[in-house]
Amino acid sequence: MRLGLAIDLDTCVGCHACAVACKEWNGASLMGGAPDYDAYGQAPSGVWYNRIRHYEVEGDPAFSPQRCQSTEHHPHPNLPLEGKGAYVPLSKTINVPMSCMHCEEAHCVTVCPTGASYKRAEDGIVLVDPSRCMGCNYCAWACPYGARELDENAGVMKKCTLCVDRIYDTQLPEEERQPACVLACPTHARHFGDYDDPQSKVSKLAAARGRQSMLDELGYKPTNAYLSPRKPVVVDVEIPVRAGLSEKARAFVNRLIQL
Amino acid sequence: MRGQSRRQRSDSLSNWPRPLLCQRIFVKPALSVIFFTVFSGAGLGLTIWTLIASTMQQHIRMDVSTFYKALAIGAALTIAGLASSTLHLANRKNAVYALARWRTSWLSREGLLALLFFPLLALHIVVIHAGYGAFANATIALVILCAIAILYCTGMIYACLKTVPRWNTWITPAKYVVFGLMSGAVLFTAALSLRPMEVGRLGKPMMALLFLIVGVVLYVSYLLRHPRKHTLESALGVAEGRVRMLDVGHSHGTFLTHEFGFQLARERARLLRWLAIIWAFVVPFALLALTTWYWVAVVFCIAGLLVERWLFFAEAEHVVRLYHGQASV
Repeated sequence: MRLGLAIDLDTCVGCHACAVACKEWNGASLMGGAPDYDAYGQAPSGVWYNRIRHYEVEGDPAFSPQRCQSTEHHPHPNLPLEGKGAYVPLSKTINVPMSCMHCEEAHCVTVCPTGASYKRAEDGIVLVDPSRCMGCNYCAWACPYGARELDENAGVMKKCTLCVDRIYDTQLPEEERQPACVLACPTHARHFGDYDDPQSKVSKLAAARGRQSMLDELGYKPTNAYLSPRKPVVVDVEIPVRAGLSEKARAFVNRLIQL
Repeated sequence: MRGQSRRQRSDSLSNWPRPLLCQRIFVKPALSVIFFTVFSGAGLGLTIWTLIASTMQQHIRMDVSTFYKALAIGAALTIAGLASSTLHLANRKNAVYALARWRTSWLSREGLLALLFFPLLALHIVVIHAGYGAFANATIALVILCAIAILYCTGMIYACLKTVPRWNTWITPAKYVVFGLMSGAVLFTAALSLRPMEVGRLGKPMMALLFLIVGVVLYVSYLLRHPRKHTLESALGVAEGRVRMLDVGHSHGTFLTHEFGFQLARERARLLRWLAIIWAFVVPFALLALTTWYWVAVVFCIAGLLVERWLFFAEAEHVVRLYHGQASV
């Protein structure tokens, strides 16, 4: 099994509900919690396994929901309409929730000197054993996605567990055996499943939508997929010209003749 | 932005303000790791040169007390360095597991070899005292190999990280090995001056001078090489167009901004680089070549290397900075 998430960049509205649900579940879980520092003070901070950041993409037709199709209503008639550098009227805001990608080539595990970081053979989940971790931060340096955060209270590294204490819990109703972030997402932008199973929801979604390359050039082979925004639908933005009075009169006469 | 011409527009795009990586400025470069790498490097280098010199009695007549003093200084520096390296651990009680993953982790390998180093050195001393002089060269070779391997492992801890393009080069381990040998040679020259020697003026600091030259060449080539391999666009898989950060999603510093968000002003970095070059290489070279102020040269060399090591960490840009809005790393 290769468990992971599929996160839809089109439908994520950036509400941080997944991060809050994650914090709530893991803050109270057996896995040791995600502490807060100075939670109600001047400079609140803390450990989050999932962080959402917001970006604006401009000039990429793949991200833009709409393009000007004619020069008539083009705000910049001197700019090209096609090709690189073409004027794309709308930019797109993307909200990118980031947590552990449960990489196939998890370098954080390779560099760990104590063996506290490990990748489970049975389902590919990357975990930290707090009873072995010495808090050297080396794994956090090896992670390109900022998925690992040090718990300063316990002195050990914390990270997304893919809610390993939920997904196998037979006490829970079957539909709830999913990570807390997936259950909380109000826009169903997050999906959980097995990427080794080509019939799973996440495999199908990743195949149908394509996945964004998130620093794929580093060779970590992240398991989580960020579903690419859907291809822009070309909307005809030609505004129909309102007929003048003489035009209307002619149409009226024509209709009279046809009576 | 909409009303401007294409040229102006692209200019204004490149001038997008970078969001602050951290509201609180943390002095991140871990001092314990800086002391560890510089001092244990110098200690290992000193041990290497002392042992090499002990095999060349016809060239460098080193008496027994100088030999042991030099070894003691070397061992003390190495131990002080190794001890300080544990200070940055958040959970020191689990450091006993640090040797467990030597098959994959350079940090583990380094720790294992560091623990092997002292028994090997003790073995060598036992061998020369027990009258097994025939094995002395073999034990010296083992100790030297172990010391160089430790320096190489220290460099590889950083060089193996693809997440820090600046470190991810063969120059990093080469720097650690050469700087260790270099500071060790400067120290060794000073240690030899503890007793008047029958060695020519330039005979004593010869290896130190040579390694100071190799060291400065390596350091300058490291500084000149500044790959910017990854951009905010490649971090999000945006093929065309530009990305800018709208909001970083947190109101105050996080572990990530604390650990990776250290910002060094360009002017300050330039100043410190020149300081490192002058203190670590130029001044020791001049002092060793022109004067007999060998201990002053040691102080400058170590101080310069401390600046160099601080810069090594302060200037390291981790790719996670892209997700915090930095345009390229």
